[in-house]
Amino acid sequence: MKVKKTEVDNIAILSVDGSIDSSTAAAFQKEILAQIEIDNNLILDLSKNDFISSAGLRVLLLVYRSSKVAVGKLIIVGASDEIKDVMYHTGFSKFFTFSGNIEEGIQMIKSPQH
Amino acid sequence: MQTKTFSGTLDSLSPIRQYLKSIAGNAGVSKKASYNLQLAADELVTNTILYGYEEAGLQGDITIFSEIIEDQLVVTIQDSAVPFDPLSKEMPSKEDLSKPLNERPIGGLGIFLVLNGLDEFRYEFKDGFNFNTLVLYLT
Repeated sequence: MKVKKTEVDNIAILSVDGSIDSSTAAAFQKEILAQIEIDNNLILDLSKNDFISSAGLRVLLLVYRSSKVAVGKLIIVGASDEIKDVMYHTGFSKFFTFSGNIEEGIQMIKSPQH
Repeated sequence: MQTKTFSGTLDSLSPIRQYLKSIAGNAGVSKKASYNLQLAADELVTNTILYGYEEAGLQGDITIFSEIIEDQLVVTIQDSAVPFDPLSKEMPSKEDLSKPLNERPIGGLGIFLVLNGLDEFRYEFKDGFNFNTLVLYLT
């Protein structure tokens, strides 16, 4: 699992390449929490992420609980149907915003109504 | 019956998922069911490795048996870790899972994901081994 950071229009995009399981969740946690400290607007790109276990969901729970994200926007883009399904069944979906692609995610962060 | 043994360490999680993906593919299950099988096994094996082996200061293997019995794909995971029945763990209720993320307990999702994605799940401790059996219906 690798996390790559890029930026578009000053908005950070964290792209996860690989699986988030108990052997990689700590590294994912470190990267995403550090980024949220810098900027509470964030795109989490899961288009190259093929797997998230409960260890990964726990990281998203911690991210959600960090006060910074509550006033910002975290948009998840490119999640597979299987991962969306797991997030739906665990009740995570309704607390995160999903978008089909990065361009749309950036527009969602920029637009005031979201 | 197919059998494959992995070392009881977190490095094995990814190879175990790859192995089960090919087993599920050969059995012709849907992409979603295959993912759910990999997820259930990942959650169970993670618990075994972290708590049954590492925390207890033990080392051991994870052996996976799989076979198609009538119209079911039956995958059994065997380990020699501390006896642990995943079903003895309290599972989050429907109510817990609809709570805002700020009000939830942090753990307990693993066993929910195991049961949520399988058609049947059984646990047995026999002859010094834990046996977790995961069943998908092939209909």
